[in-house]
Amino acid sequence: MNGDASHSKKKPKLSPPEISAEFSHHDPAVARINNGSFGCCPRSVTAAQRDWQHQFLRQPDNFFLNLLQPAISRSRSLVASLVNAPHVDQISLVDNATTAAAIFLQHCAWSFAEGRFNPGDAAVMLHYAYGAVKKSVEAYITRAGGHVIEVDLPFPVKSEDEIITEFRKALAKGKSEGRKVRIAVIDHVTSMPAVVIPVKELVKICREEGVEQVFVDAAHGIGCVDVDVQEIGADFYTSNLHKWFFCPPSVAFLYCRNQSNAGGDTQLQLHHPVVSHEYGNGLPVESGWIGTRDYSAQLVVPSAAEFVERFPGGIDGIKTANHSAVVEMGEMLAKAWGTNLGSPPEMCGSMIMVGLPACLGIGSESDSLKLRTHLRDCFAVEVPIYFNKRRHDRRGEEEAGGVITGYVRISYQVYNKVEDYERLRDAVDKLVNDGFTCASLVEPESD
Amino acid sequence: METSEDHGNGELNHLTKKPRLTRFITESAIADEFAHHQPGVARINNGSFGSCPGSVLSSQREWQLKFLRQPDDFYFNGLRKGILRSRTLVKDLVGAADVEEVSLIDNATTGAAIVLQQIGRAFAEGRFDRNDAVLMFHCAFQAVKKSMEAYVRRAGGSVIEVRLPFPILCDEEIITEFRKGLEKAKSNGRKVRLAIIDHITSMPSVVTPVKELVRICREEGVDQVFVDAAHAIGSVEVNVQEIGADFYVSNLHKWFFCPPSVAFLYCKKSGSSLDAHHPVVSHEYGNGLPTESSWIGTRDYSSQLAVPTAFEFVNSFEGGIRGIMKRNHDEVVKMGEMLAESWGTNLGAPPEMCASMVMVGLPSRLYVTSDDDALRLRSHLRAYYGVEVPIHYQGPRDGEDGVKDEYGIVTAYVRISHQVYNTLDDYCKLRDAINQIVDNKKTCKTLLIE
Repeated sequence: MNGDASHSKKKPKLSPPEISAEFSHHDPAVARINNGSFGCCPRSVTAAQRDWQHQFLRQPDNFFLNLLQPAISRSRSLVASLVNAPHVDQISLVDNATTAAAIFLQHCAWSFAEGRFNPGDAAVMLHYAYGAVKKSVEAYITRAGGHVIEVDLPFPVKSEDEIITEFRKALAKGKSEGRKVRIAVIDHVTSMPAVVIPVKELVKICREEGVEQVFVDAAHGIGCVDVDVQEIGADFYTSNLHKWFFCPPSVAFLYCRNQSNAGGDTQLQLHHPVVSHEYGNGLPVESGWIGTRDYSAQLVVPSAAEFVERFPGGIDGIKTANHSAVVEMGEMLAKAWGTNLGSPPEMCGSMIMVGLPACLGIGSESDSLKLRTHLRDCFAVEVPIYFNKRRHDRRGEEEAGGVITGYVRISYQVYNKVEDYERLRDAVDKLVNDGFTCASLVEPESD
Repeated sequence: METSEDHGNGELNHLTKKPRLTRFITESAIADEFAHHQPGVARINNGSFGSCPGSVLSSQREWQLKFLRQPDDFYFNGLRKGILRSRTLVKDLVGAADVEEVSLIDNATTGAAIVLQQIGRAFAEGRFDRNDAVLMFHCAFQAVKKSMEAYVRRAGGSVIEVRLPFPILCDEEIITEFRKGLEKAKSNGRKVRLAIIDHITSMPSVVTPVKELVRICREEGVDQVFVDAAHAIGSVEVNVQEIGADFYVSNLHKWFFCPPSVAFLYCKKSGSSLDAHHPVVSHEYGNGLPTESSWIGTRDYSSQLAVPTAFEFVNSFEGGIRGIMKRNHDEVVKMGEMLAESWGTNLGAPPEMCASMVMVGLPSRLYVTSDDDALRLRSHLRAYYGVEVPIHYQGPRDGEDGVKDEYGIVTAYVRISHQVYNTLDDYCKLRDAINQIVDNKKTCKTLLIE
């Protein structure tokens, strides 16, 4: 009735036409190979969401007083079991990983202001950390007097060892400068370029080196890689549920190892930056009410879980199938274009980086955006393009024509078909055959 | 066929694509627009969560579908244009000088967090001295009070409360208390860094003389003035330049028919507004609050994008938003007076200090003696009479007699709202419910709530 699956019979597995029907609202003309950016939401879940929205609009006072909090609790419990969090009090629901990062980093800013951290203490983060997270670190850490150390990551990357080595180097750098490394912000799957990071190992190293708090940004986590928060061992772990777990925009969870219950020292707790009357009652409760707004995306987590169960193997089955398919498609493209993958298959989840032919002449961020727009407008292909600036800047004179500086990041989700990737393959082949270069593209109109 | 009638905000019509209507929305069309409200409920609490007509909800759904259909295209080609359009309409509505002064955010609660976070930073970074003061009304919205705790007290600032007299007879009472509060705040040579002034208080609800209070703040050297006008837009005239505050926030989903949720935060161009940031930091950090607020990560921005449709809805009424405000006001006062007369009680404030909400005293024989009692009564009215109305407990103040009815001291008030979907029947239901409870000799503590 409310899209709540807990008491209904198990529904049968979805057939291919049924899967198509669930995503029939996607633009049929577009080869949508970018699930990584904004995710997707099947019809049955958006229908459940509308039910919840309707409940609020129908009688908002009753909804607020009697329906909302139990429904949020149900979602939180479900997430706790999905990620193997021992206690539901460790799980808060927030809008997105960007919000979770702000929550954690504001807490760090207070630590500087209140003397738990000292000026010059360090925060370690990956060079390929998400743009929003980097800005958040600037806004909350640098501004508060903290020092930021970036972990240099190689790309293309050949093995996890390369990443582990660079991480150790970054921690050592902090030490050699006489800094205390207070926090580490580690991506589980970097965004651009997309690479699965060996988080478990990195968390272990952090513990060995006495890093107090480890925050794992797993925006691409649940539904894309295995998520077991206890095994990973971080202090904080956040993941979007609207990217790879079929929830509508937008909902994410933030796991906090040390439960933020009411009654604890408010100074030591994390707080939602939008403060409501629930302030001080623990982050999960604070996040459950941040003023009047539409909480429906948080309430349909059970409906999304129900959808997932209609696939063989549930979320694990989907993840495995996505991974195999995206690797297969990636290898198909790399072969067709004579290029390479950005990382080995074991360092990919449901996304993979595939080198674009060097002759396309991607020489800047702007080029990659222009090319992306061109693919959208002229070939109806939606795929993000990564400009590998460092490789571009490092290229020698003799290499000039042959260095791969651009990569597509292809995603595979249950609605994708081989034709989507063939269309991309053929589009790029055509551009190459036509002697196309990015230099020939006009600056796109800015919005 | 164009008419020469001024719709109050007729200059906005050219921004929408629909042709000008020659006839106004009918009663039955209004009922249709709100057909999704639960039937059988006397919904006299528009003040808490607002309301949204079907046509605006449809527009919102279209935006949601656009995103789901092709989110990348939506993000790159549609989103910012749509938000700018909404911001521009709001800027014209509230008389802001520049659209760069107008940001769209989730709600007034978020607005308070933005303003108070930058105050907290100033304390933490030593730009304000420890114990410099921030002033607010004692009945400020609970979220704002907690935000003061989270950002001001925590960073070492001191918080001074101004008592809002209630029941109240005139603006002067508020002005007097406010001046007293400012004196206290400035005592010991403290600097008053911020004053938070409600344009319309929440509980108990009163329209304050905000222009006058802002003027007094300027006279007395208060650094920044923040007007929490959660209820204002769509229930009172709003001209942000005339009001003259540094920050002004109002919810568009309360009285301006937008879906949950969207509010605007006006920041006067000046030094302090440059340090106002959205607490959820994205790659737009540093590009100005309006731009920061327009992208705070992947989420549903459709309520912000549906704002133009709310303007269209408002313009389909005679007199546009001004017509709606006037009729709401006249009706809610009329209903309030009807209830007060039937119950033998009083209004909590004179009509000129009310907008679309009125506080009406409840019979003393209900013996409301605590917030819990008030909540109990409210739940009982919802469960047994299908009436939704918030109730305010007004405890007795030392040394004061309090307002009396025939049987004792009036300790509680209902806050009734009137919006375009309300009918006389709604208020009759409330009137009769209370009378029945009193006639049955029931007091709050004995009421069933299941």
